[in-house]
Amino acid sequence: MEDLTLLLPFVFIFSAALVAVVVGSTSWLQSANGRSPLTTLAWLLALAPLASFVLLAQKIGLINEGEKLKASLTWLPSLNISFSFYLDGLSLLFALLVTGIGTLIIIYAGYYFQKEPSAWRFLSYLFLFMGSMLGLVMAGDVIVLFLFWEGTSITSFLLVAYKYKYPEARQGAFKALFITGGGGIALLFGLLIVAGVSGETSLSAILGSGDLLRESALYPLMLGLLALAALTKSAQWPFHFWLPQAMSAPTPASAYLHSATMVKAGIYLMARLNPVLGETELWFWLFSIVGLITMVLGAYLGLKQNDLKALLAYSTISQLGVLMMLIGQDTDIAFKALVVGVLAHALYKSALFLVAGTVDHESGTRDLRQLGGLRAKMPITAVLAVVAGLSMAGLPPLFGFLAKETLLATAVHPSLPNFFSWVLAAGSVTAGALMLAQAGVLVFGTFWGQPGEAATKADEAPKLMLLAPAIPALLSLAIGILPEPEFLAALLAKGAEAAFGDKVKVSLALWTGLNVPLLLSIVAISLGSTLFYFRHPVRAWQTNFAAQLDLNRAFAATLRGIDWASDQVTRLQNGRLRRYLSFIIVGMVGLVLLFTQGQFGQLLQTMQNDVQFTWTGSQDFLRLVAILVTVGAAIASVLLKRDFAAIVALGASGLSIAVLMVLEPAPDVALVQVVVDILSVVILVLALRLLPRKERQNALSLNMTGGQADRIRNIFIAASSGLVVTVITLFALTSRPRESVVTPFFIENAKPLTSAKDVVGAIIVDFRALDTMIEIAVFSMAGLGMFTLLRQATQALGDKVGEKRPSSAKKLTSFGIYGLRTSVFVQALARLSLPLAIVLAATHMMYGHDQPGDGFTAGVIISLAIGFAYVVFGYEETRARYKWLSAPLIASGMFVLLLVGTSGWLINGTFLSPVDYGAMLNLSLPTGFYLSSAFLFEVAICLSVLGSVFFMLNTLGHPEGLGQNETK
Amino acid sequence: MEMIMALIVGTLYAAGVYMIRRRSLVKLIIGLGLLGHASNMLIFSMGNLVRGNPPLLHEGIDLASLADPLPQALILTAIVIGFGAQAFAIVLIRRVYQRVGTDDMDQLIATDKPR
Repeated sequence: MEDLTLLLPFVFIFSAALVAVVVGSTSWLQSANGRSPLTTLAWLLALAPLASFVLLAQKIGLINEGEKLKASLTWLPSLNISFSFYLDGLSLLFALLVTGIGTLIIIYAGYYFQKEPSAWRFLSYLFLFMGSMLGLVMAGDVIVLFLFWEGTSITSFLLVAYKYKYPEARQGAFKALFITGGGGIALLFGLLIVAGVSGETSLSAILGSGDLLRESALYPLMLGLLALAALTKSAQWPFHFWLPQAMSAPTPASAYLHSATMVKAGIYLMARLNPVLGETELWFWLFSIVGLITMVLGAYLGLKQNDLKALLAYSTISQLGVLMMLIGQDTDIAFKALVVGVLAHALYKSALFLVAGTVDHESGTRDLRQLGGLRAKMPITAVLAVVAGLSMAGLPPLFGFLAKETLLATAVHPSLPNFFSWVLAAGSVTAGALMLAQAGVLVFGTFWGQPGEAATKADEAPKLMLLAPAIPALLSLAIGILPEPEFLAALLAKGAEAAFGDKVKVSLALWTGLNVPLLLSIVAISLGSTLFYFRHPVRAWQTNFAAQLDLNRAFAATLRGIDWASDQVTRLQNGRLRRYLSFIIVGMVGLVLLFTQGQFGQLLQTMQNDVQFTWTGSQDFLRLVAILVTVGAAIASVLLKRDFAAIVALGASGLSIAVLMVLEPAPDVALVQVVVDILSVVILVLALRLLPRKERQNALSLNMTGGQADRIRNIFIAASSGLVVTVITLFALTSRPRESVVTPFFIENAKPLTSAKDVVGAIIVDFRALDTMIEIAVFSMAGLGMFTLLRQATQALGDKVGEKRPSSAKKLTSFGIYGLRTSVFVQALARLSLPLAIVLAATHMMYGHDQPGDGFTAGVIISLAIGFAYVVFGYEETRARYKWLSAPLIASGMFVLLLVGTSGWLINGTFLSPVDYGAMLNLSLPTGFYLSSAFLFEVAICLSVLGSVFFMLNTLGHPEGLGQNETK
Repeated sequence: MEMIMALIVGTLYAAGVYMIRRRSLVKLIIGLGLLGHASNMLIFSMGNLVRGNPPLLHEGIDLASLADPLPQALILTAIVIGFGAQAFAIVLIRRVYQRVGTDDMDQLIATDKPR
């Protein structure tokens, strides 16, 4: 059934992320009146997941009737991929966990960070994660699923690295991204193979092609890749070690991502695909064995931890192992155990994490060796810890007991091979006992026993903060003792059915009579209690014994190996960039020689046949002169020692290229080349001012004395690369087709399609408009980037750039760029040049469609006039004179660009398609001028360019930009 | 003409490479500029080097006599981007200079002041 309301939760959650950013960028959070503004913000933002939760909860009825909801948006119709969502029992179960626990986490985070106004960043990451996670479990298309999967990896990285100033946070985040990101790549390939075999990317279609997939020859490969993704994401052995490291995330994130939601994404993925990929031998053994090892290993390692969060992390790994093992089974009871396990674990583990966070928050430590006896100071927290801890221990009458019972029932299911059934039962009992012991260690060690040093300063947390752990903890109790809630049992059954692919009966009754699982449970509880009683010697023994099981070392060793290998390979890279350049250039020369050997003779032959240089009079003479000047000036810029002279020579070279272009004839290029060349000389000269002369002379003398050998080497490298480029060019020129394939299209269609006479202009603003748009964006970014770099620099020096200075005192002194007084005549010229430049620029843009000229040239022409003003009037006065020159120019340019593009989209159906507004509105305009999208496009380019060049001139022309080195 | 174009490109390229191999940062920027010129000429020469009319569609013009507009449009973009990159490089170098206190390329082996 189509149901577009499925999209609403995403709207809510992603808007909340946006609101967090917007509020964060205002100063509201900094105001410290009364209650912490961040707490208030969190309460308000929590409405988004809450609304999503309610909205999704309303679907329970429909889902329980066996309905499957879908919502899809057109995305890539040509590839038959749509941005679609899908909701059945399994998705809904996870979606409710994501939004429900998400609501509590947001509220909790508001208190956790109440003294940290900058934590809006954390909130917005959390919402981004929430949206990604929700998208992952509700994706109706495997490509969509992949996108959201990667979204969770990236947001998880941001959350773990939230306290990025601490190395542990950075390392933990890196490790998590390294492992889960690798899994993400495997997922993409796996899903592509699945989609390729089944011929569809939509989930409902894939779910219907199980036989096709299982019988495919690619089955082991796709299963292997998908399993790799699931095992890495869900922290299964041997990839489990990233999870404890990720505990350097702030506790709200750990509680949410690393216990309740994200680490279950792998479980969700395999449960989702079980009906189509499961029920094979490979599937059974792979997940049973990996899950079993993870379950026992996680429980074993958890018991020896002293850090509350590390203990919880390992017990999470163990529980994830349980779930993964259950997915391997092919029985209905296993999938009942799966859904019950997912829910029970999410409830008690998020509660315990939040309790641990509260303890950490209030006492300042989460080290069990310093904790103890907190019961008196934090009574409510202690009660919550006991309730959730009992559920973790799997004791009646809590929900966790049911989870363990169904697990044990799965382990002794008669369909299993007899021997393996024993292994599974023994493993489950062991893990259960260890889990009970560590739940005891966690609760008892924190709240009972000798009050540790941390206990003295601790105090009970705010009541509303405790709401977050209280709700899941009490739910664990309520589901256990209250009469069975019908709708929940039905929903769990639907979830299990979706994963199993057949009917599953779910009842939530704790007491099922005296049977084998109950007996095993009693064994596990007795064993666990014994372990708990002897916890001190056991944990001491573990600490001494188990060091070699640590896969972190293997990971570190692998990374070290990679580092060592790359170190060997990159011996040549000693940090001297010039040397790198040499290797790159020499390598290129070598490659070209290698692949063209023996063809030089042939090349010369072709050239002799091909080249006929016919002298056609004065034009050719001019051309020859231009060529000679181009090359001569380039060589001069190499030979001239003084930087200033070399820059001027470079400018001369560029100008003569412009002359060449005029003769070619390429008037548009010539225009741009002229203005850009002048502007780049201006900028280089301004920049030269910023680099102290003494240093430059030092470098120069180093160049001279740098050894004859160095110089000869340079000449050799330069000459050989020049030669090779000559050869490449000749090859390209003589072997290409004489007639261009695409050019005739542009020439023929320029007029009918864009009504432009200037074909070059038509290509730039119409045929390749998107390209130009991006080009201008890049250019604007260069301008903004320059501004940011230099502002940062001057601020680092303690300068106060950009602050309002009292300019009235020194007003209109007309001191030029080096503090020299400029003559009145020059000042008059400078005043006149700007309006003239603007008129010139305007005509360029108005008639640029039919004649050479474009918005870029226009922008640079105006900028040059402003640059002139900088030289004549100096920084202060220019700024005072032309106040309209500011950052919004770039923004308005980009805005007009988008507007023009969108209008084309609205009117003609294609983004950036040409529109003649003048003709549409019947305006009478001067002949030859069309008020068209092309004209507005030029104006937009002009504005952006003007803004960017202003930034360049402004940062380079700033008097304090001179830097302290020069003034000292 | 092809031969001459190839020689120009080669010479400009050699000059550019020589400059970026030098130790001074200012020379490096000049070298980048020269390499930019060389690349533009290379792209430009890829068009059909006819000496015809500029690519403007006036009434009654012979379409076959027009210079190839495509490489012209391409190098227009290249010039603009090249200039943007060059300007950014200048500021970056200024910042590097401020940070490490040298414009000697061989001293730039760390992101902080040389020991």
